[in-house]
Formats: sequence, C-alpha cells, structure tokens
Amino acid sequence: MRWPRLIRKESESRVSSQSIYLDYAATTPVDPRVIEAMVQCLGPDAVFANAASTHGLGLVAKGLIEQARSDIAARVGAHADEIVFTSGATESNNLALKGTFGEELPHNSRLLTTRIEHKSVLDSAEQVARRGVAVEYLVTDACGRVDLDALASTLQAKATALVSVMHVNNEIGTWQEIEAIAALCRAHGALLHVDAAQSVGKLPVLLEDWGVDFCSLTAHKICGPKGIGALYVRRGRRLAAQLHGGGHEHGLRAGTLATHQIVGMGASYALAEPASEMPEIERLSQRLWAGLAAIEGVARNGSAATSIPNIVNVRFPGVDGESLRLALADLAVSAGSACNSADVEPSYVLKSLGLSDVAAAGSLRFSIGRFTTESEIDRAVERATEEVSRLRSLAPNAPNWCLS
Amino acid sequence: MDYSTEVRRRFAAAVPNWVDHSDGVVVVAEAEDRTLGLWVRCHMRVVDSTIASVAFEVFGCPDSIAASSLIAERLSGRSIKTLDQIDVRRVAVELSIPTEKLGKLLRMEDAVLACKALVDAD
Repeated sequence: MRWPRLIRKESESRVSSQSIYLDYAATTPVDPRVIEAMVQCLGPDAVFANAASTHGLGLVAKGLIEQARSDIAARVGAHADEIVFTSGATESNNLALKGTFGEELPHNSRLLTTRIEHKSVLDSAEQVARRGVAVEYLVTDACGRVDLDALASTLQAKATALVSVMHVNNEIGTWQEIEAIAALCRAHGALLHVDAAQSVGKLPVLLEDWGVDFCSLTAHKICGPKGIGALYVRRGRRLAAQLHGGGHEHGLRAGTLATHQIVGMGASYALAEPASEMPEIERLSQRLWAGLAAIEGVARNGSAATSIPNIVNVRFPGVDGESLRLALADLAVSAGSACNSADVEPSYVLKSLGLSDVAAAGSLRFSIGRFTTESEIDRAVERATEEVSRLRSLAPNAPNWCLS
Repeated sequence: MDYSTEVRRRFAAAVPNWVDHSDGVVVVAEAEDRTLGLWVRCHMRVVDSTIASVAFEVFGCPDSIAASSLIAERLSGRSIKTLDQIDVRRVAVELSIPTEKLGKLLRMEDAVLACKALVDAD
C-alpha cells in the first residue's frame, strides 16, 4: 500500500496556542492517515465484525488484521506469524518476563536486566523474583549503555534463562547494541527479550537477523493509536500465557482482537520509515540542543553519540525541577519522573546514571517527532532560556548542592 | 503537581526584589534542608525596631517561592521585638500548600528567626 506523504506546514504550528508539544517519547498524535485506516473498521457499514468469526464479514476483518500483522513484521524484520497482539508494550513486557518463568521454573531460573528499564520490566522482574527467580541487574555506564564485558562475564558465570534489555531508553534515548547482546545471549544459552517501544521508526529493527527471541512493540510512540501493541515471539520459542479465555493469538493472548486498533498499528508501522523521517528530526534535534546548550551550565544527560536524535534530556543546574516544570508549563515536556500526591520523585533512570536527586529533578526530557516544527523548537528554546534565567535570579547565592 | 491559583500567581510574578540599604540595619541569615530540596536566605531591614522590608532568596519549589513572597509581605511593618514565630500553618492554608510541605515553610521560619537573633545581638 502506498501512503500519501504528510507534511505539516509552519502555518499549522501550535506555537501561537497554549502549549508546544515536545513529549513524543511519552506518546504521539495519531497520524491522519492512520485515522483514515482505522475508520474503515468502525461504524455499521465498516469492517467491524469479529475476526474470529467464520462468516464473510469476519473473514474480511481477519484479512485486515493479517495485513497489519505483515506490515508490523516487515518493519521489525520478523515473520508475520511471530507477531502476537497485546494492549501495548507494558503488557508485552509482562508477557515476556512472566511468560518465560511460567508455572514451572526452568533450571536456570535467572533473569538479567538493567536498572534503567521501563517500570513494566522492573515491576515484572520483581514479580518473578517473588516466585524464586534470581534477578540481577547489569552494569550500565554514565550514558546508560550495557557493559558488554560485564554481561559476558555474568552469562559465563551463571546459567541464565532470560536477558531483558530495552533497545532505546525512554528517558535519555540511549540505544543498546542489541545485535552484540543477542550474540552473547545465544552463545551462553540465554534468551533475549528487547523492549523496542522507543526504537521502531527511529532506528532499523532487525529482530530475526539479530537473533532476538522476544520483542515488545507498541503503536502509540509512532503516531499510531494507544491501547495496542505486540510481542514478537521468535519461531520455536515458548511462553506461558498470562491471559486466558479464548485461545487467541496462538493461545498466548486471549481476547477479541481489536480490529481498528490493529489496523491502526499496522498503518503506523507501514508509515514509520526511519530513513525518510529521521533526517528532519535530527536537524530539529540539533537546533534544539544548540539553543539549550547556550544557557549557562546546561548539560545533556546521556550522549548524543549514543542516543537517538528525537530524545534530548537536559539538566538545568541551579533550578529546582518542580519550579522549572511549572515555569515551563506551556511546554509539554517530561520530567521523566513519577509523581506522588505531594512531591515529585527524581527519575530513577537519571539517578542510576549517577545524578544527584537535585540534578535529576532539575532535568527535562524534550522529545520531538513527525509533527514538530522549527518554530516550535525556537519558541521552546526561548522559553527555557527566559525561565531558567528568572528562576536562577531568585537565588543568586545558592550553595553548590543546588548547582550540581 | 497541583498548585493553588494564588501559588501560581505569586510564582509567576516572582522576580528578584532585594531589600535596600538606605537606612536602619540589614541582616542576612540562611536555612536549608537538602532532603527537602530547599535553600533559603532571608534579607531583613530593620529601622527603629520595625521590620521595614524582607526579601528571600529561594531555591525550591513553587509553593516555597510563593510562601516566601507572602511571608515577606506579612513581616513588613511588624515589630522585631514581638516576632517570635511565623504561623506557617496559616501560610500553608492561605496558599493551599499541602501539609507535606510544611517542613519547607519551617526552614523559612528558621531563617527569619535567625535574622531576628542577629538584630537582637546587634
């Protein structure tokens, strides 16, 4: 299927409105072409039938789903029959980790992961640990890269069932050398799960070639709908289902398939071509960082050399993080942190990289995407420059711990 | 985080506004709590036992910045001799600051009372 090219004009920019959206790593707007594809599955005259039904309308729905499955598989270098639909990457991460350590634990019941994974991996790791699985955390460097020598040593020393590593970190954009990690896992008889929620559409993903066993995918990070994702399960690999009640998706994930969501995911994957989209995103990213770096003392968390360009995580020394976020409320950016009722927890990812609480809290993640415009970037830099200057001027004699 | 309208107003309006040194005595004192992420320096000008003006330097959250502005307003014109505490609970209620943040307001009180001690010792 050929998709019309979509170009957002500067005149359509929301700079003049209330908020500038620079939070594409959190989620993205649905591409109008994706919406168009989804609408064909909604409404009384649309392809709304249950794809598990054997009547004609059901078969049409099944056909659309299988086309989407093929489009998704093609984007990630997989076979269509290796794609299992889920509600998103969080569910996929749960299925991969908990499903590997099913009712009967394997003899090598050890899980290796890192401390900078998504919460759905970390929390699932805690769950399997409660069932007796040994969970260990791999060393990462100051940019969040896995130390391959340390991984090799650990795999050599301890029989391991599963290694779980994200392809691209959602907070700092650091990408991992998945092919090398997969080779180490294979050499030592460990399975490899990769969370690729942030990498599809930004980097080439070649799951079969790389030797990945399981891979979590989602649609809403690449201008697809929320509430739909998939788990890549390499041919021959086995998982214990976590949802029961119908035997859908090779018995791995029960529940009526959400045709419109799946079609939307398929369309978003078909559209997400890194080679055509990333050069412009990289140009905007460089413009953003050049502007922010002109603010005194500003530093980048992670490294441009090992990060995908659409995520720029920046710390602003001398500015309280909570104040910075309120001052820049007109910019939709992320603190990469979890809030509780009264206060804001500094990002566990940034703290894992060695940042102090103050430095982690005083960091913001800017993430750009398909619909970001140059004028939005310029306005964001202007606003950050203004507010950092104002907030610093409120405490010109602040001690060093506030400036770290 | 949710902030009251008044906190938002005071935070948005916050700009450096230091005390002048035209007459009287100016004292400066600090307080901090690193675990709470707050540092505050209080500048107080006292003329004939009356607090003529107060200004705070604040590294902290929007609630803290807003509270410092309200406390500074409330202290101006008061007698330094009768100053023995700041009713931080009242400040918190007035600005709808959550009780979990009272510790930050208490550090502001510490800085103010340290200023008073300096004046008393003068």
